[in-house]
Amino acid sequence: MTTLTRQDLNFGQVVADVLCEFLEVAVHLILYVREVYPVGIFQKRKKYNVPVQMSCHPELNQYIQDTLHCVKPLLEKNDVEKVVVVILDKEHRPVEKFVFEITQPPLLSIRSASRLDACGGGEGASVMGRPPLTPSSDSLLSHVEQLLRAFILKISVCDAVLDHNPPGCTFTVLVHTREAATRNMEKIQVIKDFPWILADEQDVHMHDPRLIPLKTMTSDILKMQLYVEERAHKGS
Amino acid sequence: MADQLYLENIDEFVTDQNKIVTYKWLSYTLGVHVNQAKQMLYDYVERKRKENSGAQLHVTYLVSGSLIQNGHSCHKVAVVREDKLEAVKSKLAVTASIHVYSIQKAMLKDSGPLFNTDYDILKSNLQNCSKFSAIQCAAAVPRAPAESSSSSKKFEQSHLHMSSETQANNELTTNGHGPPASKQVSQQPKGIMGMFASKAAAKTQETNKETKTEAKEVTNASAAGNKAPGKGNMMSNFFGKAAMNKFKVNLDSEQAVKEEKIVEQPTVSVTEPKLATPAGLKKSSKKAEPVKVLQKEKKRGKRVALSDDETKETENMRKKRRRIKLPESDSSEDEVFPDSPGAYEAESPSPPPPPSPPLEPVPKTEPEPPSVKSSSGENKRKRKRVLKSKTYLDGEGCIVTEKVYESESCTDSEEELNMKTSSVHRPPAMTVKKEPREERKGPKKGTAALGKANRQVSITGFFQRK
Repeated sequence: MTTLTRQDLNFGQVVADVLCEFLEVAVHLILYVREVYPVGIFQKRKKYNVPVQMSCHPELNQYIQDTLHCVKPLLEKNDVEKVVVVILDKEHRPVEKFVFEITQPPLLSIRSASRLDACGGGEGASVMGRPPLTPSSDSLLSHVEQLLRAFILKISVCDAVLDHNPPGCTFTVLVHTREAATRNMEKIQVIKDFPWILADEQDVHMHDPRLIPLKTMTSDILKMQLYVEERAHKGS
Repeated sequence: MADQLYLENIDEFVTDQNKIVTYKWLSYTLGVHVNQAKQMLYDYVERKRKENSGAQLHVTYLVSGSLIQNGHSCHKVAVVREDKLEAVKSKLAVTASIHVYSIQKAMLKDSGPLFNTDYDILKSNLQNCSKFSAIQCAAAVPRAPAESSSSSKKFEQSHLHMSSETQANNELTTNGHGPPASKQVSQQPKGIMGMFASKAAAKTQETNKETKTEAKEVTNASAAGNKAPGKGNMMSNFFGKAAMNKFKVNLDSEQAVKEEKIVEQPTVSVTEPKLATPAGLKKSSKKAEPVKVLQKEKKRGKRVALSDDETKETENMRKKRRRIKLPESDSSEDEVFPDSPGAYEAESPSPPPPPSPPLEPVPKTEPEPPSVKSSSGENKRKRKRVLKSKTYLDGEGCIVTEKVYESESCTDSEEELNMKTSSVHRPPAMTVKKEPREERKGPKKGTAALGKANRQVSITGFFQRK
């Protein structure tokens, strides 16, 4: 399989794209559900065939997009261990962390990848009239879409299991990478004027956290787990 | 014994798994008729509240009934939260039906998750989606996939015939078996061809009637005002699933006169371009009602996935009919003849170009319907004034989003409704709220009243000027 690397890259790109889209929707939804920003800036949009709430504030949107744009190369290379959306109170101490633990099975997807490639498309291209041998990229992606829909649903109802946040919260995104990746990050500044810095202990460490699992998904191309770490006493 | 089982099931779903349990979802999961599912949910709520008044339980209800608005009587179907239930009930002149729609632990901020809940289970039960439903249509059977489009056209016509008849018939049929509870099931929704639940069905029915009536009214050029409050109402509902049917009134009044034409028209409005050869050809298209379209888009999201050709054709049919332009006072659709087939735009994905080609191509099957002002019927690429949102930093350093009319070449089918009038009592913060749409950006819809200050107080508010 001399074309293995290229196929892998193709697949990595597909997964990274899917993940980045999903994470964007998830971040917006978290901001909506946890009331980090006023409800008025959100509007209903459609993703994965269901309504989701996305902000229409341009700077907020740009920030989230830039963030995920920088994460994408890491995802492509499977360097990301987890992506965390941290909600901080007025004193910049974390009150809640939505942790997306991401695992990409390394060689499991070879068969699907070769299928994709043989059919002349990376990004889940659907080729008509193709004999359905191995799981087609269409059904694979629609399966993944279904799982991601379930994640969206779970985030929407996470209110029930979480305490109210104090007013005046802000948010930030942390990316936990595997070892060598951060060194590369410093060399490659993906977006100008959007630097990433090593997170402070203060931002990462939460005192006395409670763990609330929300959802897990397993698929051929991606495994993801979402849980919330919540500070026991959120105070005001 | 059996009683306890389902209560335990529901308890497990709601409390342990933190799921949203809608009656439809419950009916598929437990394999019971929808009315039984509704009753089960009701029982559960009652018992739980009796046992433990502090239980963390949020309930939504589906309320339907007739409403007098601006002197018109219309039918309203709404999903409301418990705290708004009394208010909505009191507004209705006649309450036709109230039943539990869903139970969940979390307080829902909007109706999105309700749709999400039903989406997957419905998709996986597509072949027998009316198995537990109270809405049945004997004529709705899957078609053989091998039929050509020309014969499918004939089917559409005959189905329209059947649908109009069936609607009349089903209005009289009683509800499926189910214990008479504190709810009365509305007769109205029964008239729908068996697709979805009563709510959606009611909506569809209203739409069917509405589009039919619209088709007539295109010839009558009735007041545009009829539509506007309808839209305003839709958006003013927190759970905006109200199906306003203003045209029921018109339908009734014109029924006698136009009866033939009603039947005639829908057959004609099924728009294969092959039919489009008339003189006096006039394109009329409907400006998308945003929320309605949303609802249909949601439902359409399910429908388009249907494997049935027939249902797809029905769907296309509905889409085509829905795209009939809303009558406007300033529009000139008087010349549209009810029996001029080409008056309605073809929506099939790859139509052969009709002799008087539609004003714009219709690329997508799951779209916001094109809403082009009817013109003299030529194939123009017009520059239209479109309501667009411009965001900029003003003098004081605040981000301001303003909706302005901008000329735009209307080559794609994305002209949204410009004339949307009141959005009634939306809180100021939500004036910038835009209607649901796909990821692809289109011209943004907003309140037509540009002059009305986009009250962005709450938005700029989080740039504290300290």
